[in-house]
Amino acid sequence: MKSTRYSEKVLDHFRNPRNVGTLKGEDVGTGRVGNPVCGDLMELYIKVKNNKIKDVKFRTFGCGSAIATASMVTELAKGKSIDEAIKITRKDVADELDGLPPIKMHCSNLAADALKDAIKNYKDKQKLKVEVKEEIREHKEEITGEKKFLNRGVYNIVKDFSLFKDKRTLVLDRGDKSIEIAIELTKHTPRVVFVTPLKDISANTNLKTELKQSDVKILYESKILEIKGLNEVEKVLIYDLNEDEKYELYIDSVVLLL
Amino acid sequence: MEVYIDYQSAKPVDPRVIEEMTPYFYYKFGNPSSLHETGDEATAILENCRQTIASFINAKKEEIIFTSGATESNNLAIIGYALRNKGKGNHILISEIEHISIHNIAKYLSKIGFNISKIPVNPYGSVNLKKIKERMTDKTILVSIGYANNEIGTIQQISEIGRLCKENNIAFHSDAVAAEGLVPIDVKKDNIDLLTLSSNDIYGPKGLGILYTRKGIRINPLIIGGGQERGLRSGSENIPGIVGMAKAVEIMQVEMNEEVKRLKVYRDRLIDNILGNIPKSHLNGHPTNRLSNNAHFRFEGIEGESLLLSLKDKGISVSTGSACTSKTLEPSHTLIALGLLHEEAHGSLELTSGRFTKKEDIDLVLEVLPQVVERLRKLSPLYK
Repeated sequence: MKSTRYSEKVLDHFRNPRNVGTLKGEDVGTGRVGNPVCGDLMELYIKVKNNKIKDVKFRTFGCGSAIATASMVTELAKGKSIDEAIKITRKDVADELDGLPPIKMHCSNLAADALKDAIKNYKDKQKLKVEVKEEIREHKEEITGEKKFLNRGVYNIVKDFSLFKDKRTLVLDRGDKSIEIAIELTKHTPRVVFVTPLKDISANTNLKTELKQSDVKILYESKILEIKGLNEVEKVLIYDLNEDEKYELYIDSVVLLL
Repeated sequence: MEVYIDYQSAKPVDPRVIEEMTPYFYYKFGNPSSLHETGDEATAILENCRQTIASFINAKKEEIIFTSGATESNNLAIIGYALRNKGKGNHILISEIEHISIHNIAKYLSKIGFNISKIPVNPYGSVNLKKIKERMTDKTILVSIGYANNEIGTIQQISEIGRLCKENNIAFHSDAVAAEGLVPIDVKKDNIDLLTLSSNDIYGPKGLGILYTRKGIRINPLIIGGGQERGLRSGSENIPGIVGMAKAVEIMQVEMNEEVKRLKVYRDRLIDNILGNIPKSHLNGHPTNRLSNNAHFRFEGIEGESLLLSLKDKGISVSTGSACTSKTLEPSHTLIALGLLHEEAHGSLELTSGRFTKKEDIDLVLEVLPQVVERLRKLSPLYK
């Protein structure tokens, strides 16, 4: 079956998704699930009062069925008690939508998982109310390949920006100076990636805003594990701390300030 | 009427081609291998068509082998050459952004004793000449690089690559399917030893292609039978298809210059407008050295299948590099090789115009696309 051959109900929820948005507050549980290989990411918010789901909102990056299933699960969950809602399965969601193409069943049918995740988050919040620990920016950790490719794609210092012309350049977060370099590099190459282990950029407001508005692609919660190539840098192995996954990125230069 | 901006995926057959082909299904049905008059006539037609197609790429008639299409031509070129020349070496170079058929042929060969190296590209998808040279060894027998990329439209420096291969005594194959009819191809000037062309990509019928093999280049056949096509591709010739492809070539030879000019206007309008009017949108591929019909974008924070569905709702047919529309659920290997992340590759949109694209079609895309992107971004947790 072609991936775009959807039921009328799926298309309706895709065209007119219900309950789009976000919620905030003490009584809100947040679920976030995703599958980067398939390209779907879903955020679901539930507002709970007297153990009942009073309001639900969602946001989805993904294909038609990812949007439709999220929209459907918000309708199914609304008004239910959290004990009832946690029983909603992927199959329930698919059935309510008059079915999904087989290839989409495992991949883009994440909405029930997002709901479970949100309920769990709500329960944890009520029980624990602990602060999320802030991760520390790691300095000068040895990266495999750093020495091998030094000055053949790996740079500890940036003096001549013209060296980076049209090079896909990755800059590792090593403080404000590295952010300034990343922004400056966008004048010389179409592709600058900034990698930080943190959830958000840690810098003064002006610099942070400037970085976010620039053409720099930011990779949050990520680390460089290895630099690879034949004679020069050709790829880096990235570790996604949040997803606990490794993947390769094609890159020509890496800036690792000392 | 649906607006079709997906000429890279498939092209309609030009009605003039259909008209030319029609008599060959019933009135002129002969088999060139037969000795009677109907057979002689078929032989004459076959050889005329072969000459027409050869002249399109500055080849000789004897250097053209008819096949069932580009996939078969790629198989015959690479596997046929590798098997015939394995005594000389077992190393083959392809680029990271070759068509999926070439990637899978390479995978197959790597299972039967050949070594494959993949050459990286720069951020615009241009194959790096220095890196081809770096990877050549005394075991290298063949280099296969597409003339232009089928997704992002980047045109390669084919004659430089051809020269490099010639200097190193290595055979050079190029899949020219994406480029044919958009870029003039000259196998002599470009130092190409093996070249793949498809009939449908110049508005001829599907199910037909050719492999050009330079005189002196030896390959093994993959299909064994009655010895047609100098024994390199057995099976009765598809005369109606061959007549159709030859007609498609004749039309192209007359109309290509004007057509390319028109397509360039469409392409540049799409690129200028979309990059100018949609924030956080980017062009994939080379800014100037790209096919005249290809405009390829990525939009931050949205996914390609939902973009494709939304455009379909407005009557516009397009393509995307998103995994969600592929059989394997993997994003396009070409976009990943450019250095894009999965989520970026998923947000891509390929707009390819062609012979029957009208100015109004482009107008509609430009009117609809910004609204569609904005709506999907409002739904997205990735767009801030």
